[in-house]
Amino acid sequence: MKLIVFCLFTVYCCSLVKASPLERKKLQEVLRELKMLKRDLPNTELMMNTPPKDIEDCCCLTALTCFRETLLEHFGISGKYQKKLYKSLNHTLTINGLNFCNTETSTNNCSTCHSHPKEKASEFFNRLESLVQRVRLFQIYFRKLYIKY
Amino acid sequence: MMPARLLLLLCLIGPVFAEKSPDVDCLVVNLEYISCTWNKTGTPEVNYTFYSKLGNDQWKICNHYLTENNMNIGCNQPGDRFKTFKTRLIYGNNNFEKSHELKKQVKLNPPTNLTVLNGSDFNLWFYWNYTSPAPLHCVESEVRFRTNNNNWDFSKVSAGIQKYCINLPSSSSRYELQVRNRVDDTCGESIFWSDWSEPVVWASNNSTYSDDSMSPWTPVMYVVGAITLILLAMILLHHERLRIILVPVVPKPSPFLHNIEDWFQFSKGLKDNFKPNYNERACPVREYNYVSQSDVVSSDGSTCSVTTDQTDCSIEQDPEDLSAPIPSNPVSSEEVQKASV
Repeated sequence: MKLIVFCLFTVYCCSLVKASPLERKKLQEVLRELKMLKRDLPNTELMMNTPPKDIEDCCCLTALTCFRETLLEHFGISGKYQKKLYKSLNHTLTINGLNFCNTETSTNNCSTCHSHPKEKASEFFNRLESLVQRVRLFQIYFRKLYIKY
Repeated sequence: MMPARLLLLLCLIGPVFAEKSPDVDCLVVNLEYISCTWNKTGTPEVNYTFYSKLGNDQWKICNHYLTENNMNIGCNQPGDRFKTFKTRLIYGNNNFEKSHELKKQVKLNPPTNLTVLNGSDFNLWFYWNYTSPAPLHCVESEVRFRTNNNNWDFSKVSAGIQKYCINLPSSSSRYELQVRNRVDDTCGESIFWSDWSEPVVWASNNSTYSDDSMSPWTPVMYVVGAITLILLAMILLHHERLRIILVPVVPKPSPFLHNIEDWFQFSKGLKDNFKPNYNERACPVREYNYVSQSDVVSSDGSTCSVTTDQTDCSIEQDPEDLSAPIPSNPVSSEEVQKASV
């Protein structure tokens, strides 16, 4: 019995180690699909509800949801890259990678999607790209130095 | 009319006396801190007070000024390049505020500990380290190397890789390599590359390579080669037969019918050498028809048989007198016709 528990615990720990590179690859995939969609953007003058540039750490997931739903509303999932991007933004690995919030901080102060002002589509995609680039591992490294100052 | 003219005059001379607004430039240094300076057009004339605001935070005064000639010219402060960054310079009643986009304004420190190893696969391996806090997968590199102080060759190295290989280096060559890096596209690509690292040089122990890049035997070889070339040219000019063998003459046909021997531009002496120096008598050949013995008898009663004759070349005969009959019993074709009738 003890041996089984030990083996299961080892497998669980290994899965945690393996998850980080998978999250990183998933986020890279999102950036790639985003770049392709930006390139094929049909209407650059389109105005869309865009989360702010300065998103609090605990509001990143709310912002991700807003980006995803706004994309669905304006572009749908009929196109090849639209469909891929929507699925990638909805993936568990993407959500885990952008979860900068610790459980102690509340997420009630995050704005709703429709309360965000409308911006041009190019600005919408730029902000989504910046959000994805704030990968979890990178944030951890920078956080340590921020505390040092 | 007068107030309008006065106003116009004030508008024209006003900018002359107005204080020039300082231009603040900010850069994220090695992803560790943000460095802002306002001395691009020269040392400022007054000491400004610097404030910065990151995202939705409050305005903060500068704690660490950069100075030049006892004047404040810049400030280092912590920050997050993904958030909005605003700066404010205040002197008296003057307030100059500016907003900055810092995501791509990053300059990393150059790579360090650049080393070279001669691998067991006979390739040259270069390794280096990063000093920035960014994860390895966020930093891409660029390598430049040159052989024997020639022009630099550039090569990109993907993010996360801290080594470079030169295949099968020459043991008589000198290799010099430098590396620089920047933030990768997937982590917010920086528009600035870092400075080049300190160079590392590799040259084989057995090589006699020196900075002047010329061996003492090289001019000797050049002189020997030149002399050989001159001697070869002289030999070809004076020995016609050798020249014809090495460089055969291409015949130049002309539209006029000439003697084919004239196509080859040989000297008279060479032509004569190709002519035979002996005379061979030509053997005259005649055709004789075979006539059977019975036909010959019915024609003139004579009994003589003839056979196809072959000229006997062993008999000496003047080649000019080819029409003289040959001592045998040939029958011409006319006599054969008479016999048959």
